Amino acid sequence: MNRRDALRLLATGAALQLAPGNLLAALREARALLGTQTTVHTLDLHQHATVTAIAELIIPRTDTPGATDVRVTEFIDLIVTEWYDVEERTHFLNGLADVDVRTQALFGRNFVDSSPGQQTQILTVLGQQMAEEANALQDHARQYQDSPPEPNKNFYYMVRGLTLRGYYTSEAGATRELDFQIVPGRFNGCVDVRASREDREN
Amino acid sequence: MRDEKTYDAIVIGSGMTGGWAAKELTENGLKTLVLEAGRSIVPEEDYVEHVPPWEVKFRGMRDRHRQLEDQPIQSTCYACDEWSAKFFVSDKEHPYTTEPGKPFRWIRGRQVGGRSIMWGRQVYRWSDLDFEANLRQGIAIDWPIRYADIAPWYDYVEDFIGISGEALGLSQLPDSKFLPPMQLNCAEMAVRDAIARHFGGERVLTIGRVAILTKDHRERAACHYCGPCERGCITRSYFSSLNATLPAAEKTGRMTLRPHSVVHSVSFDRRTRRATGVRVIDAKTRAISEFHGKLIFLCASALESVRILFNSATSEFSNGLANSSGELGHNLMDHVKGGGAGAFIPGGQDQVVFGRRPNGIYIPRFRNVKTKQVEFLRGYGFQGGGDREGWERGIAQTGFGPEFKKSLSRPGPWRFTFNGYGECLPNHDNYAELDKEKADAWGIPVLKIHCAFGENEYAIRKDMSIAAAEMLAAAGARDIEPFTDDDPPGFSIHEMGTARMGRDPKTSVLNSYNQAHDVKNLFITDGGAMVSSSCVNPSLTYMALTARACDYAVQQMKRGDL
Repeated sequence: MNRRDALRLLATGAALQLAPGNLLAALREARALLGTQTTVHTLDLHQHATVTAIAELIIPRTDTPGATDVRVTEFIDLIVTEWYDVEERTHFLNGLADVDVRTQALFGRNFVDSSPGQQTQILTVLGQQMAEEANALQDHARQYQDSPPEPNKNFYYMVRGLTLRGYYTSEAGATRELDFQIVPGRFNGCVDVRASREDREN
Repeated sequence: MRDEKTYDAIVIGSGMTGGWAAKELTENGLKTLVLEAGRSIVPEEDYVEHVPPWEVKFRGMRDRHRQLEDQPIQSTCYACDEWSAKFFVSDKEHPYTTEPGKPFRWIRGRQVGGRSIMWGRQVYRWSDLDFEANLRQGIAIDWPIRYADIAPWYDYVEDFIGISGEALGLSQLPDSKFLPPMQLNCAEMAVRDAIARHFGGERVLTIGRVAILTKDHRERAACHYCGPCERGCITRSYFSSLNATLPAAEKTGRMTLRPHSVVHSVSFDRRTRRATGVRVIDAKTRAISEFHGKLIFLCASALESVRILFNSATSEFSNGLANSSGELGHNLMDHVKGGGAGAFIPGGQDQVVFGRRPNGIYIPRFRNVKTKQVEFLRGYGFQGGGDREGWERGIAQTGFGPEFKKSLSRPGPWRFTFNGYGECLPNHDNYAELDKEKADAWGIPVLKIHCAFGENEYAIRKDMSIAAAEMLAAAGARDIEPFTDDDPPGFSIHEMGTARMGRDPKTSVLNSYNQAHDVKNLFITDGGAMVSSSCVNPSLTYMALTARACDYAVQQMKRGDL
């Protein structure tokens, strides 16, 4: 496969004609050829779908874009692939697999095939366990906003952190959901919330 | 390009003080060569303050593995982030060594503009409380100057760089010539008022005094509040040598700025007792060349300048050029930080800030000013400020879905933090020497740094956390968390004192005009010259001393004494 073929494969959906087993291999080959142009690195299609479902549950599309709209899973895959160390990557992937283990045990199906109510139930349990672990750690150390977070052993904490960062640092998340402006032009130390929104619109 | 080899003056370093030396010497008619070890910076290409997070690969989480590999020390600085890491050196190319159990953080920038590109921009005058402290307490040696000697030079520098701030009329922190102050935010005003009520005027909260323009000034535009100054500023609203002094020097037509010029050493003529020039290694080709000048200004930073002088040893000055006193490299100081407190300020839920103010609050020194503190000598000031929490607070929360998302679209509670910066006493046992076992990427021997805080610094740090918590309590804050972090020396990035001034050539390297006692045409005007550290950010004083030293050197030259 040459670079042109790889681009065509990724761009036109020609990959869908391949047998599922060959699909991943072909995609990986295509990605390898395209270097940083790739959109998926570590997560296979099922893992990708599971992360996407979790991220969209955390930050759903409402009157503003949601996690899927801003391609949060691509960012998460990038971090899992190029930012995490081996231990963190393993921990993340194990935690992700554990989500299906939980839904299989309770509902006899994978997370992505579970109903919205079942998915909500799972995230609620994951959240409770995360909070219990955090309380046990009693870790009150506060970090600089942009400093690398400490490696965390809780999968749900990891995926929440990446989902929120991926969303709120995306263009839509920053400018449509939050009021981020690259050049505010002035500083006012104390304005009414509503006045601030009007300011922004004028 | 044809390389001129002989100049009236050579300035080593193009950062905070090198830029001032370049400006002052060229404006006084001297043909000046400015040597910079690093690359050129082209603002239109290299400044990245308006690059939004969605345009950087790791969205602000930094290129972690590259940093661990190449910048394990530099990346401990908050400013060495995914945008600005390129303004910090590679630790692999620029190693230094320390003693086991005595860590020292040396944060460095090698490029035209040096660290003035990503500095903290806080600027405060020293007072006679600082200049007289060593004499009154019998510590180290006396400063050979007083506030009256430097005050006109503060005026001179401030008039050029532009400083915004609030005049307070405090004896321990003289006012600068101010542009209008930036505004405090709602939480900061509340804390300011509470402090005024509870501490009888002894403690005062004011806006930080910063070298950032709040109105247009000398052909530079007022700040537009985009926030991250450390990534550069295309409107040149904050002061850096690249934004202000180097363009002024360029305008004279008498400056030759030579990047990629790693200074190995200064050459010395035994018969004339003068420095004759500078040996330079081309950073890219490794070619060695020598430049000659009647005047040499070392402005490479407190540690780099003494490293150059150590590497300039002669048979006479076997412990480093201009080091007959034996004090070169000694008395290394850095402000002690790591003490303070954080808390939530109740209320103000309907109030937000508009814009990103690249500045915080300041609480001038209040210890050992009017009343004597028994636990420690000297004092500290607080920086910090208030802000509403952002989306990050949602990570550790358990919510998800539309309501959760909606809650994060609004700012969180007001959070307030005080970070203390304390004076470090000069100590002969804190020093840097050459490590002849190790060389940098250009084969130049590196420094071995021996530095540790002493009892006084630890006592100051402890007091910072108590005093900060007291003020937060006075302001009705909740969840007050005092902290004392063991930040190693170097981490305030205010390293100084390694070539101190003094009246006696036996105990000091420089005279009261930053001129080497041993080598009359050699000046050191970076942080090396400092005799004590005060507790305020030092760059303004370095700049004022540089301008003053240049004026003196030019007068001496005109009189034929140099």
